[in-house]
Amino acid sequence: MADIQWPWQYSFPPFFTIQPNVETRRKQLDAWRTLVLDYCRTQKVSVIDVREGDLLPVFNNTAISRKLSPEAIMTVLGVLQKTGNAEPLDKTRTRWNIYWHTLDEWASIVYKWAQDNAMLNTVCTFYEIASDSGDLNGIDDAVLTKALKVLERRQQAEILTLEGGSGVKFFS
Amino acid sequence: MGMLFGKPKVSRITDHDRAVLQMKQQRDTLKRYQQRVEKLLESERELAKRLLSENKREHLLVSLSMFVLTNNYDVNHYSKAKLLLRKKKYQTEQLERTEASLDTIEKLIQDLEYTQIEAKVIEGLKVGNVALKKANELFNIEHIEQLLDETKEGIDKQREITDLLSGALSSEDEEAVEAELNELITIEHQKAMDKLPTVPSDELPVTVPETKEKDNLPTKKIALEAQ
Repeated sequence: MADIQWPWQYSFPPFFTIQPNVETRRKQLDAWRTLVLDYCRTQKVSVIDVREGDLLPVFNNTAISRKLSPEAIMTVLGVLQKTGNAEPLDKTRTRWNIYWHTLDEWASIVYKWAQDNAMLNTVCTFYEIASDSGDLNGIDDAVLTKALKVLERRQQAEILTLEGGSGVKFFS
Repeated sequence: MGMLFGKPKVSRITDHDRAVLQMKQQRDTLKRYQQRVEKLLESERELAKRLLSENKREHLLVSLSMFVLTNNYDVNHYSKAKLLLRKKKYQTEQLERTEASLDTIEKLIQDLEYTQIEAKVIEGLKVGNVALKKANELFNIEHIEQLLDETKEGIDKQREITDLLSGALSSEDEEAVEAELNELITIEHQKAMDKLPTVPSDELPVTVPETKEKDNLPTKKIALEAQ
């Protein structure tokens, strides 16, 4: 796991309280959005549970003993959802999928991978995709499935499920 | 269309694909197993190392304090480390076996995928063949002859038009010109004839018999000599 480069805001106590001023809040949430996405990308975090938010260092800066409250985390995730970078997994909106690439982007990345590795018109397993050394390394199965569904809609791929797991066939 | 109405479109996945996927899954399982064993090996090696180094420390303590009971502990550590190393050996062998089966399975996958490619190639050849046949049908001889005839006609017509446009004469015209020329020539000839002095109509002095005799003499002579 790579060391995390925290932005200056991370050591700035008011950053951990949602600001009432509209303009300030907009800037703050924007910073949070970047921070969460960077964090998730470098640490390969695909699922965030709001209730366990303070277990993640991103929401809990022990150095200045400040953490983001679950409500505030919810607000931040709401911002992410608007840009297609997050999606609640249940009705109570406690578990979230984080997409540091939007699903459309993921779909294109996966398809490009298939093209680059001459995987068109052949099947490959999810494990094969996730063990790629590039961007796709360690991609969450659920995220991958969703990205492949996007490709299915574009008629560029088809998911097939066997008892031992799933695979996908790419089409040119 | 199908995707608009959510109708299940015809699946483009064949049984072959399924088979390949199954093989690939086996391969992934093997790979994962390999990873697991490798990790285990690494951690156990670390453990054995630690045990040995701890053992040394204990040993040092023992020699310092002369505490006899730790001796027992000492042996325990040694045997544990040995056991771990034995386990490691076994796991390494296991890893090699995994490697071998991975190799087999990967070969098989490659073969499967290659047959698919081959099938595609054959399909391509077939398509090419059909296309060629079709193209050849287009080129049947009669058709070509007809085509050539038509082209020739066209060319002739074109030539005629060009001749007309550039003022050249057709063969009929040519004949007419020829006739006119002949006429002129005969007229000229007539004129020239008219200008000539008239042929005298008087009879010439008769010298013909004389020449006849002269002519006959040598032949007689020759005949005599032969007798």
